[in-house]
Amino acid sequence: MGRGAGREYSPAATTAENGGGKKKQKEKELDELKKEVAMDDHKLSLDELGRKYQVDLSKGLTNQRAQDILARDGPNALTPPPTTPEWVKFCRQLFGGFSILLWIGAILCFLAYGIQAAMEDEPSNDNLYLGVVLAAVVIVTGCFSYYQEAKSSKIMDSFKNMVPQQALVVREGEKVQINAEEVVVGDLVEVKGGDRVPADLRIISSHGCKVDNSSLTGESEPQTRSPEFTHENPLETRNICFFSTNCVEGTARGIVIATGDRTVMGRIATLASGLEVGRTPIAMEIEHFIQLITGVAVFLGVSFFVLSLILGYSWLEAVIFLIGIIVANVPEGLLATVTVCLTLTAKRMARKNCLVKNLEAVETLGSTSTICSDKTGTLTQNRMTVAHMWFDNHIYEADTSEEQTGDSGDASESALLKCIELSCGSVRKMRDRNPKVAEIPFNSTNKYQLSIHEREDSPQSHVLVMKGAPERILDRCSTILVQGKEIPLDKEMQDAFQNAYMELGGLGERVLGFCQLNLPSGKFPRGFKFDTDELNFPTEKLCFVGLMSMIDPPRAAVPDAVGKCRSAGIKVIMVTGDHPITAKAIAKGVGIISEGNETVEDIAARLNIPVSQVNPRADAGPQAPACRLGSPQTRIPPLWGTRATVLRAPGRGGGPPVSLTPSPPPTGRLIFDNLKKSIAYTLTSNIPEITPFLLFIIANIPLPLGTVTILCIDLGTDMVPAISLAYEAAESDIMKRQPRNPQTDKLVNERLISMAYGQIGMIQALGGFFTYFVILAENGFLPSRLLGIRLDWDDRSTNDLEDSYGQEWVSGAASGDTRILIFGLLEETALAAFLSYCPGMGVALRMYPLK
Amino acid sequence: MRRQLRSRRAPASPYGYRYRLDDQDEVNQNYLADEEEEAEEEARVMVVPDLEEEEEEEGQEEEEEEIEEEKEEEEGQGPPTGNAWWQKLQTVSEYLWDPEKRMSLARTGQSWSLILVIYFFFYASLAAVITLCMYTLFLTISPYMPTFTERVKPPGVMIRPFAHSLNFNFNVSEPDTWQHYVISLNGFLQGYNDSLQEEMNVDCPPGQYFIQDGDEDEDKKACQFKRSFLKNCSGLEDPTFGYSTGQPCILLKMNRAPTHREARHPTYTCFYLQRGDENDIRSINYYPESASFDLRYYPYYGKLTHVNYTSPLVAMHFTDVVKNQAVPVQCQLKGKGIINDVINDRFVGRVIFTLNIET
Repeated sequence: MGRGAGREYSPAATTAENGGGKKKQKEKELDELKKEVAMDDHKLSLDELGRKYQVDLSKGLTNQRAQDILARDGPNALTPPPTTPEWVKFCRQLFGGFSILLWIGAILCFLAYGIQAAMEDEPSNDNLYLGVVLAAVVIVTGCFSYYQEAKSSKIMDSFKNMVPQQALVVREGEKVQINAEEVVVGDLVEVKGGDRVPADLRIISSHGCKVDNSSLTGESEPQTRSPEFTHENPLETRNICFFSTNCVEGTARGIVIATGDRTVMGRIATLASGLEVGRTPIAMEIEHFIQLITGVAVFLGVSFFVLSLILGYSWLEAVIFLIGIIVANVPEGLLATVTVCLTLTAKRMARKNCLVKNLEAVETLGSTSTICSDKTGTLTQNRMTVAHMWFDNHIYEADTSEEQTGDSGDASESALLKCIELSCGSVRKMRDRNPKVAEIPFNSTNKYQLSIHEREDSPQSHVLVMKGAPERILDRCSTILVQGKEIPLDKEMQDAFQNAYMELGGLGERVLGFCQLNLPSGKFPRGFKFDTDELNFPTEKLCFVGLMSMIDPPRAAVPDAVGKCRSAGIKVIMVTGDHPITAKAIAKGVGIISEGNETVEDIAARLNIPVSQVNPRADAGPQAPACRLGSPQTRIPPLWGTRATVLRAPGRGGGPPVSLTPSPPPTGRLIFDNLKKSIAYTLTSNIPEITPFLLFIIANIPLPLGTVTILCIDLGTDMVPAISLAYEAAESDIMKRQPRNPQTDKLVNERLISMAYGQIGMIQALGGFFTYFVILAENGFLPSRLLGIRLDWDDRSTNDLEDSYGQEWVSGAASGDTRILIFGLLEETALAAFLSYCPGMGVALRMYPLK
Repeated sequence: MRRQLRSRRAPASPYGYRYRLDDQDEVNQNYLADEEEEAEEEARVMVVPDLEEEEEEEGQEEEEEEIEEEKEEEEGQGPPTGNAWWQKLQTVSEYLWDPEKRMSLARTGQSWSLILVIYFFFYASLAAVITLCMYTLFLTISPYMPTFTERVKPPGVMIRPFAHSLNFNFNVSEPDTWQHYVISLNGFLQGYNDSLQEEMNVDCPPGQYFIQDGDEDEDKKACQFKRSFLKNCSGLEDPTFGYSTGQPCILLKMNRAPTHREARHPTYTCFYLQRGDENDIRSINYYPESASFDLRYYPYYGKLTHVNYTSPLVAMHFTDVVKNQAVPVQCQLKGKGIINDVINDRFVGRVIFTLNIET
């Protein structure tokens, strides 16, 4: 099962396998790539950098040198993954799967015809026709599949345009606009807001440059880029820009340190293309199924070939039996049915605004067992809102539901402004009335923001207002404002504050404290120069005003979606870097943690042990969502423990935030269900097709169902009902079942086989035989007469075959029974049409016509 | 008992914990399974007091087994090192028979026996249904006359001697080459022996239908067709039916069909096919001389009641045929309502054979 090695999302599969030597080597290469990016350019000083790349940091490379490097390194572009030639794809369709069996059948047919033609003077053309029909079937289905595949790969090709087009480089002191492909290592490149970074850059100077690294790291927040070396890890440090990321704002100048496939993005692309291109679960299922059926067909065919030789049939007859058994066993129409089913579903998904790039991917969603969701923007609205306020020793709830139009700026800031606008009116006017005279912006050392305003109610004095981390604010306060009066901040009030702070904090909300101080007009008259560096004004002994707490509220549709996912047995895991309490609150809010469940912290508290010692698997209850919250390092391990077979994280590749909707999983499950139904339906006809042959060989009865008739059934009458099963509505419990486990829940398992072959197939076969006996009996051949009649029946020179009533038959008349069978086929089709198109049947039988 | 197994096995499996958390079980596969099995499973679940855990363990065991099964399926793909082979072999043998869990093919004996019982009852009921159907079929079918007779209506023609071939190749001077024709004819004509015919059948008036009204289940009388009617081809005078002299006898017989009333007095005429020379057959003698089937042998009332019915015959005595070459012969039935020129069907209303007499 070395193949599965490529499936990163299947940890269980990867551990158990080990492939051949070639694979191992490939894996080794991949492992090299998977390692952390080794790079030291970000640690070098600018001078060292200039020396290393032999480039003048102001003038750039010379044209000559750039040419040389370009000739040495090749163009700055990602190597496209190797493609298979079209004819190979076509041949794969033509000779893969069941086709090879049918080809064998066709060749045997031609051989048999050739032998017959050589040995008999008047050979029957049956075998020739059959061979031609078989070959035609294979070619037509092969072309059909190839066409379908070509169509979908064409769509895929349109996604490949991900390389920057133009780049501004400095060469010989001049700025030149060149094709991004011509950028070489050591080039001095300028990027500005809106550009795509043309290669991996070491920043040497920047002006407010921010880049969006979301395509690389998934982090959607724009990140500042500057020449300083800030982190050991090249992915984290600020002075490296990465190929194919976007510069959001500002400008920057940098030295190209890697181009093309050697860039970080290039490595990832190579890594991704080096993987076995996603053999989707359904493809593996179908392959597994084909192997199974092929095995059965070959086994049965060969054993009956041998048996018929032992029973004394000639080689020719045995070969014809072999063909018959193979044809009866292979569900010729199945692959076409599967393709049609998938196409139909893709269309249906498109109607739900869900674009499906790869048909088979649809099903993958159905076997999703775990969804790892980003918190911000996916589960939540990505919009800070004031949820609670504490003043006058009371907690007041603010309105979070109201749809507030967002504006730019810091999230908490705008939340506060929004809240004030809603409760007190225009902030702008308030600001106009109380002009700001000085401000200390927030920074991480003092953890507060302070501003001094002129008071509108007192023409001479100023007011100092401060907001920040509540405990820091409280430390600076000596009084508290209650009911408009300043009262001393005594122990009791401090406790009240602590309680309120704990309560709001416990809700997972970001709490800010506010305080103020009316500066005495004598000491600080209007026009006083407030020096924010020297702090020539008091910042202690302030008056505490209150707390405001904010939260990023969950999206309205999320709890419902999470509930649906959970009832479908899909684990929803929230991945976040937030504080555990915040994360827990959100998780509770959206239902990821439901009542009675514990997080690691809860368990730690219950068992009185440190969080690090908690074994979530051992101590958590049976249904715990394994929602482990905390730092990035601890975020991943729980996933490995859940034996997560298929993980899908709603991506945030720079696009609009994906909201969590459980719509694809049911569609995926529906596909799987309906495919299962289609296959079960198709397989049922195998037994009634093969038993006539077996009885023909063993009991010597006339052949009830010829090979061509089998083909008619498989490709004609059976296909439409099988496809119509793709329209089946979902079973009512489809989302209440557990997700499919690709390891054990096969598309075709022994239950399905047992049902299709052992039960339904048997019933069908008995029905068919009964019809056969009825028709023959009504025409004169009672069942007892049929046993052992085969030789005379098939002997074309026996023209007085006596039946049970003493009637004598010419050979042509007796074998003319095919006409009755054709009638049966027509009847089946007509019945199917009737069931599908008759008004009212949609209600009665839940069958709907094809569109 | 299961619980004990679990605790003993748990440390052995490094991934044991994986299954602990997992709440998947086999129940979700049931939707396409047969109802009986499903019902049986539900019933079992209901008896178990601690539903969830039991199911969990159940699912877990099932999973482990199916993983083993998978390994077994993947056999042969791995590197052919001895150790791995040995392990695979062990896995396979464990899959076939696991002594620890007392399971064969991933199922316990109880499970297997349940499946067998279910299938036994299922097939028993199927057999009962099919028996009932066949019984009703026989109730609706008359034993005397087939329900439909249209398909035998255009009567076929057949020749005797018949040796699974319509080519008569023989050498006059080598009795071995024609002896089997003689034996075949002799055997065929045993039923036409004069003594037998006189004893069993009645002599009915010629030239008219021998209609016997009466109940369907009444035994019908058959008209005599004596072997001696065939004269030179009866084998009475010439026991070799002319084969020893290069003047072979070939008997023509019209296929029996119970309601051939409209086959009014059909006559045989034999002539060459276009393939040969018109003069290849210089003379044929017909016995009876009219070369026709008398009406008194019709209608035919069916095998059950028309017991000793013997098909009327016309013998052709090829008294002068070109020797040492293949002579195609086509014999056609002529008569009202007889079809004899269906292109695709060479045997309706006619028969084609070749004579190749070597001297």
